Amino acid sequence: MGISDKIELENELRKIADYIVTLRREIAVLQANEMHMEKIPAAGQELAAVVSSTEGATNEIMAIAENVLSADASDPAAYKAFVDKEMMALFETCAFQDLTGQRISRVVKTLEHIEARVSRFATYAGVEDQPGHATPHEAETAARKEKYLLNGPSIADEGNTQPDIDRLLASLKGQ
Amino acid sequence: MAADTGMPILVVDDYKTMIRIIRNLLKQLGFEDVDEAADGKEALGKLKEKKYGLVISDWNMEPMTGYELLREVRADPDLSKTPFIMVTAESKTENVVAAKKAGVNNYIVKPFNAATLKNKIDSVFAPAA
Repeated sequence: MGISDKIELENELRKIADYIVTLRREIAVLQANEMHMEKIPAAGQELAAVVSSTEGATNEIMAIAENVLSADASDPAAYKAFVDKEMMALFETCAFQDLTGQRISRVVKTLEHIEARVSRFATYAGVEDQPGHATPHEAETAARKEKYLLNGPSIADEGNTQPDIDRLLASLKGQ
Repeated sequence: MAADTGMPILVVDDYKTMIRIIRNLLKQLGFEDVDEAADGKEALGKLKEKKYGLVISDWNMEPMTGYELLREVRADPDLSKTPFIMVTAESKTENVVAAKKAGVNNYIVKPFNAATLKNKIDSVFAPAA
């Protein structure tokens, strides 16, 4: 190997070393451990709490409605007092929305935090997505979703409204 | 022909809350004989044990979806004539078309109200125009 080749090799190795140093710094900035150990589990707990409190409030509201529908209305004064009491309970139950709203806001902030860091890292490192890296569970879920058309609730303007569906069914009549 | 309010109805949904909502709405419409199942597989078992006048089913359930349940029902000579209404958040055209091709009688998108449920049940049992 000639001197010029050695110099060129040394320069290349120096560039690689510099790249590794900066890449390590970017990985540190990514705060992957914080995301993995704190942010994502906390967001999961917040969403679980939202599901739980929404379900609890819905059941309470339905219980109130069922109580009112099945109440004895033969004594109007007693019936009115009972309905008033149940309606107050209904208002109290609706307070769940304030808490779930705050919890969802925290989850949105976490997602924005993760998005900003991952985006910065992907841009810096010049990362390109590679297909075929789904876990067996992810692959199975994706296959089931495609086979049984499990699209889930649509975002506004994506899906059909009831009148759209009625028109669609009418157009498919006889097929 | 109006729907017979005495007929047994099977409501299939993996969310207890939704079953409770549909059960209450059906009660208000006069239907008292309502059974429930948490997915297509459980529903299929109940359909083989008792004759139902109507199935009201969600789409997205595990292990068996409402779409698979519909196809199983239509493929079974003993069950194939059972009226079937899909009540689901799946509102894409491909879902509606697939359900229609599989033999669904009507399709309700969530969230829905009592009037829509009544209207769809009535239209399933109305004589063909």
